[in-house]
Amino acid sequence: MTEFHSPSRKDYLLKQREMYGRHIFGVFPAQYPRELLWAMNILPVEIWDPPLDLSYASAHLQSYICSIVRLGLEFIVQDKADILDGFLFPHTCDSIQNLSSIVNDYLKPGKPCYFFYHPKWPYRESSHRFYIEQLRDLAAQLGDQVGDLDYTQFQQYAEKGEEVASVMRELYSLRASGELCASNVEFYRTIRQAEFLHPDDLIPLLETFLENSRGSQASETPVILTGVLPNPPEILALLDELKIRVGDDDLLACGRRYLVPPSQAKDPFEALAERYFHMPPCTTINSPIRERLENLISKVEGSNAKGVIFWIVKFCEPELFDMPHLIEGLKKRGLPTLVIDVEPNQELTGQLTTRIEAFVEMLA
Amino acid sequence: MKDMGVPGIMRFSRMGKKRRPRKKNASLGPPLECNSRLRELMATHYLLSRYAQGAKPVAWVTSGAPVEILRPFGFYTFYPENHGALCGAQKMGPELCAEAEEHGYHQDLCSYARIDLGHYFSGKTPVGRLPKPDLLFASNNICQTVVYWYKALAEYWKIPLILFDTPYNFREISKADISYMVRQLEEMIPLLEQISKRRFRYKRFREIVGIAKEASLTWGEVLSTMKARPSPMTIFDAFTHLAPIVSLRGLPAALEHYRALLAELEKRVAQGVGAIKNERWRLMWDNIAIWYKMRDFANLFAERGMNFVTATYTNAWTETIGYLDETKPFESMAKAYSLVILNNNLDHRLQLMERLIQEFQVDGLVIHSARSCKPYSVGQYDLKRLITERLEIPTVVIEADITDSRAYSEEQAMVRLEAFFETLEG
Repeated sequence: MTEFHSPSRKDYLLKQREMYGRHIFGVFPAQYPRELLWAMNILPVEIWDPPLDLSYASAHLQSYICSIVRLGLEFIVQDKADILDGFLFPHTCDSIQNLSSIVNDYLKPGKPCYFFYHPKWPYRESSHRFYIEQLRDLAAQLGDQVGDLDYTQFQQYAEKGEEVASVMRELYSLRASGELCASNVEFYRTIRQAEFLHPDDLIPLLETFLENSRGSQASETPVILTGVLPNPPEILALLDELKIRVGDDDLLACGRRYLVPPSQAKDPFEALAERYFHMPPCTTINSPIRERLENLISKVEGSNAKGVIFWIVKFCEPELFDMPHLIEGLKKRGLPTLVIDVEPNQELTGQLTTRIEAFVEMLA
Repeated sequence: MKDMGVPGIMRFSRMGKKRRPRKKNASLGPPLECNSRLRELMATHYLLSRYAQGAKPVAWVTSGAPVEILRPFGFYTFYPENHGALCGAQKMGPELCAEAEEHGYHQDLCSYARIDLGHYFSGKTPVGRLPKPDLLFASNNICQTVVYWYKALAEYWKIPLILFDTPYNFREISKADISYMVRQLEEMIPLLEQISKRRFRYKRFREIVGIAKEASLTWGEVLSTMKARPSPMTIFDAFTHLAPIVSLRGLPAALEHYRALLAELEKRVAQGVGAIKNERWRLMWDNIAIWYKMRDFANLFAERGMNFVTATYTNAWTETIGYLDETKPFESMAKAYSLVILNNNLDHRLQLMERLIQEFQVDGLVIHSARSCKPYSVGQYDLKRLITERLEIPTVVIEADITDSRAYSEEQAMVRLEAFFETLEG
């Protein structure tokens, strides 16, 4: 098994600017048209869980706001964003919505802020049209800063986006069937590189990882992860230690965004719209709970999982609202569930370790 | 609304219940005569709702949803947020929230939602019984939370949920946003026809839009009477009298109520009758009320000669209603409903608050940081800082919740308020 050591994120970004003249944009979670940004020579760098201690953000945000929002703001108020040429705020939830306005209207970080509103479920004909209009509008706004969108470039990057999705689908598929010989830590460390790598670097990285990791998985008990993001990674390491294989995931930062079915559309605007409207059920687009449950069950069946772990970020309303129904639905099918309510970057406590160990014992 | 003999029913329901008469606070002015009118109106609304089931299609609606489009189809509309406020005022919040928590709903979730889900699981409510809905109608112009909450209800009741998706105004509203919302309204009509089994009547719809506009404008006039010194009512009165514009918007009953209230307030202004006896300072309230502390706060502030004369919350049901236009009902509704305070960026909120502070001659600002309401609360710390810097008025933030009193610390709130009082009284 090959270890994948990525360059330091900052060094990589500086090099991207220096060598290719790329504009570096900080992008907040979760749904945005990254192919459009790539086509405009913008490298999106997602801001989910910067490894910072929370201090200054508390002057701006209440303690009952989720850590992803607080860490994102901490990143800005600690002046860690100096490398960035702008920010993009997708409309993900109430807290990120207001964070965007705090940054743009009150803190004024001296960098342009862009916004992206994606239509919410239930989808109708109007939703499709609006999504395309939003893409065009974003392109026009970005164009003022970085130059006009080149349609041919957009087509090429829409295809690259499809290539990324294709490798991701294969990685997930092999993992689900126990044919990917990679630890949980390695798997997520690799796929989370997609949060900042340019597709020209990301595709070979994923392909190499795929080729090097093909192989029969040692006999391990599969589980499904659902929630927001796999942080702290110490939990993944603990699962590895306990011989638990993540068979599939329904994590917002991972599977929900990467496991998009291929699009046949030639027009890149249409292709992006098609992918958006066919992404897996997700809280950020208001998918009905029954669709989320069906999706989870199909993941359980597809990977022969023995249980489901809800990996929840504290105070995350969208996830917390769906959780009781999902747990009830899974329990009705005899599937054990575990809820872990954690802060990104927190240490693995003894209590949490014991709970995970007890859950694993139950699966056995 | 038809007179169902509600005063009689109310008197009957009170028989046998021994209530200790409340001691009137000497700092308060005479109570509003329209209070009893309001009680009757809302009691009628809740009473009729019990009999609506089966007789009319019933819709549960979020407070910011464009209800006017439901009315031509004859829907009886019920507002869970209004019911949540009522439960909060009657101090039933923790009990109902706990019911939802027992079913897995986390204590960090919106307490209006937990009250409503708690009612679903337990059937408990201070109004006897709530009508089972045939339709859930939500708009995310006030928060995304209502959609998560209504999705859960849709799953439990196995009924349709219609969403009016209002793009958040990060900057100015765009033509694309308006077209998207207009198209959504048009797309809803066949669905509503199917659910209600009634045809859409465009003429009636326009009339309803007209009634809603007039009621909201009259509500605006009601609030404007608080510009007078002394103010003829307090914001605590306004929080209570908000119920018809939320729950009965588009019905003549709401308009009639506000006309009566306006007439009473104008009379009080002409006679110099204040809501509190010695109005020395005028305050502004930000965010939803702390429903279980309404009476305590009304007394506390009145005793210090402080009167709340404006609030961003009460203003929300009149601020954008001027956009409503019977001749262009769809387009005007799109604007009126998507430009509301919580669907607008924080720069807009700051400007609005500055304007209200000036127009109502406000001396101090009390900000309720409501654990339940993220879109209202995220950004308040910066709002406080900016308003203090720009307008040089004392401000205070109270950490609390709208209905769940377990998230409120009296001691902590009083320490902050005492410091605020000292600064104000300087």
